[in-house]
Amino acid sequence: MSDDKHDLHSPAPMVDEVSEFEVLELAVRELAIEKGLFTKEDHNRWTEYMHTLGPAPAARLVAKAWLDPEFKKLAVNDGVKASLDVGIDWINSMPTNFGTPSDYCNLRVLEDTPKLKHVVVCTLCSCYPRPILGQSPEWYRTPNYRRRIVRWPRQVLAEFGLQLPEDIEVRVEDSNQKSRFIVLPVRPEGTEGWSEDQLAEIVTRDCLIGVAVPKPSVTANRKRPVRRAVNPYHH
Amino acid sequence: MPSSIRDKVHRHLDICRQIQPALHQETHAPSPDMIDNAHFRAYTRSPHDIGGEPDIPITWEEKEEEVWEHNTFVTCEVLAWRGVWNAEERRRRQNVEVGETMYLGLPYYGRWLLTAAKILVDKQFITLTELQEKMDEVRKRYE
Repeated sequence: MSDDKHDLHSPAPMVDEVSEFEVLELAVRELAIEKGLFTKEDHNRWTEYMHTLGPAPAARLVAKAWLDPEFKKLAVNDGVKASLDVGIDWINSMPTNFGTPSDYCNLRVLEDTPKLKHVVVCTLCSCYPRPILGQSPEWYRTPNYRRRIVRWPRQVLAEFGLQLPEDIEVRVEDSNQKSRFIVLPVRPEGTEGWSEDQLAEIVTRDCLIGVAVPKPSVTANRKRPVRRAVNPYHH
Repeated sequence: MPSSIRDKVHRHLDICRQIQPALHQETHAPSPDMIDNAHFRAYTRSPHDIGGEPDIPITWEEKEEEVWEHNTFVTCEVLAWRGVWNAEERRRRQNVEVGETMYLGLPYYGRWLLTAAKILVDKQFITLTELQEKMDEVRKRYE
């Protein structure tokens, strides 16, 4: 159980006994391999595939759309087809060659305008466009974000550092098992004449979820406390 | 959302809140006349249907991933790849069948992990005894 008084910046506590989560995880994995449900190589291949994922292709898609009106049209009309241009094949992706079992093949690209801001949630679980955006951040998975963003979006966005004027409409898109979303934000002023590489750099993961907007000088997500793992996985 | 539907949703959420650990009211299998339709819907709501519930602001955090969390994710995906379960089944088991206490009380991947173990037992790929013996064996490696 998490301790609210736990100092978020302190190192993870030293634990001298193996956790039941670790025991169960090893037991399930080893039994599944022993029973021939999958092989050790299957597991390794999936881990290698995970290492290739991250927000870079989605950022590239946005940068391309900013530079090329035809590509923008394609992205908004057919996100899956547009993904091919940034190297992501939703339908035939590795390692299964039939896409990932839990992400399906229906990416929608939500176009912001100066008067309309999109933000993405999955109220029922934590559906997220993994193939093009990588693993979801912890806060996106919290019941708190999922409870509040659909009912008090302006307040929640303000907590993320995004204060929206009243005349900008906020549209919260609720993901589901079959449909995944990324936000195509408005290209910020001060980026005239920039290259695709330069533009892609300012499209952060948070911009693609919709809790931030791109700024010419910002190339990273807003700094937040990091909860340390007892036995961290190094990506 | 039309305001009449909005009102209904808010009323539903209010009732859901009131029936959670209901120490302040009788919850000992009441007679049918004590459960109106609104309460029926509240009791039969699944624990993951939380959109719109009231809550207080928290600190938004990033999180390092535990080794077991990564491996749990991969195991669940690979089990699906090899046809042991599909996405609908996983969601029902991970989000609904765990029940409210585990749903809100366990880490995100904790639910995934318990569900992966349960599917192997439920579909008779392993017995509960095999699982317990394997867990004992794994624990001994760390002694």
